[in-house]
This record gives sequence, C-alpha cells and structure tokens, in this order.
Amino acid sequence: MIMTPRLRKFALAAHLTCSVGWIGAVAGYIALDVAAATSQDAQTLRTAYLAMELIARYVIVPLALASLLTGLLMSLGTKWGLFRHYWVLISLLLTIIVTVVLLVETQTIGYFADMAADPTTSGDDLRALGSTLVHSVGGTVVLLVILALNVYKPRGMTRYGWRKQQKERKVSQP
Amino acid sequence: MANRPSYPGTPRWVKVFGIIVIVVVLLVVAMMLIGSGEHGPGRHAPSGDAGGQAAPSTGMADHAPPEGGRG
Repeated sequence: MIMTPRLRKFALAAHLTCSVGWIGAVAGYIALDVAAATSQDAQTLRTAYLAMELIARYVIVPLALASLLTGLLMSLGTKWGLFRHYWVLISLLLTIIVTVVLLVETQTIGYFADMAADPTTSGDDLRALGSTLVHSVGGTVVLLVILALNVYKPRGMTRYGWRKQQKERKVSQP
Repeated sequence: MANRPSYPGTPRWVKVFGIIVIVVVLLVVAMMLIGSGEHGPGRHAPSGDAGGQAAPSTGMADHAPPEGGRG
C-alpha cells in the first residue's frame, strides 16, 4: 500500500530522526567506551560502565528498533518496496545484523554495569573488564554505510524488482 | 512479437560490496581464531593463573557473565 504524501513525509521524518539519532547516541556511547578502555581510575570506570548501560538500554536500543520499524514502513509504503532495489535490501539486512549484535552486546554491557554497581568490585576487577570498542566502532561504520546507501540510493534492481517493474509496465501500457 | 527484455544483471557496486563484506567477515573469523578463541564477556572473568596474580577476592563470582559477544 502506497502512503499518502502527508503520511510519507511524517514517516520519513520519524525514520530520519531515529536513524540519525541512533548514530548520535552511539557517538556519545563511544566517548564513554574510550574512557572504559583507557582509564585506570576506578571511579571513572565505574561511572563509565553505568552510563554505558543507561545509554545502550534506554537510548540506543529503542532508537535501533524504531529505526528498523520506520524503515520497514517507509519501504513498504513507498514505491521503493522492500526487495525491489539493492540499496534498500542491503540497508535492511545490515540494519537487522547491527540490531541483533546490539541486543547481544547489551547483555555484556549489563554485566559490566552490574559489576560497576557492586561496591565490593575492586579497581583491578573493573580494569580487567575492558571495553566494547570493537563492537561500538564497528557498528558505527556499518551505520555510516547504511546512511550513505540511503542518501545516494545507488541504482540497481533485484531480479524480483525488475520482474515487478516489467509487470507494472505491461499493465499500464497494454 | 517483440522479445521480453532480459534482466540487466546485478550492478557492479553490489558485487564489489559483496566481496568487501566477505573479506571483512573472513578477517573477523580469522582474528577470532588467531586470538584466544573466546568471544564473550567470559574472557574478562578473573582466572587465578592470569599473569601470576591471584583471583580477586571480590564478588565477581556472583556475576555470571551473559552469553554473547563483546568487543
């Protein structure tokens, strides 16, 4: 079903807000992650891990899920479709992969936060935890690739999309 | 009767993108194999013989690390 122009604009605004907000929230998270990776100060580590969990659980995960949902709505409600164009299909696959990795990683971050919240955890234990930098930086790179795909919309239809297009042309030009 | 036009094929950028993804995935798998082989928060749990140090006498044992990956 194709959305009305007004609804399409609203859905696009929502999708842009969630997607760009996701990247911005991850940027803030990475600042804390760098602190967790480099600091030797127990108080800094404790604060960083607790803040990382709050940002991941209450900002990044909701934005990721909302971005995925609004992206699905945008695809299905516009002429782009979900499986017609390679850039849409690849964006969808990458978003699903990043979201799944994020949800798994949130458990790890929760474990770090539990350790940090426990007053009996020593500074050595906190320093031994490390960071989640590989995943957060890797995830950001993937998000930027998705952003580039969505902005540039490189040409190229899937076999399914091409068949659909031929069918529609046949109907409109009998 | 005109022939039906054939599918123009997969664009070059998709093929290049696919090759890059395969290379990155292989690199990640290789790094995981070359490394300790552990991929999860469990690798951060204290081990008594690590660096010749005794296991910290804290509540770490009370915190079971979740399954899953970490960076």
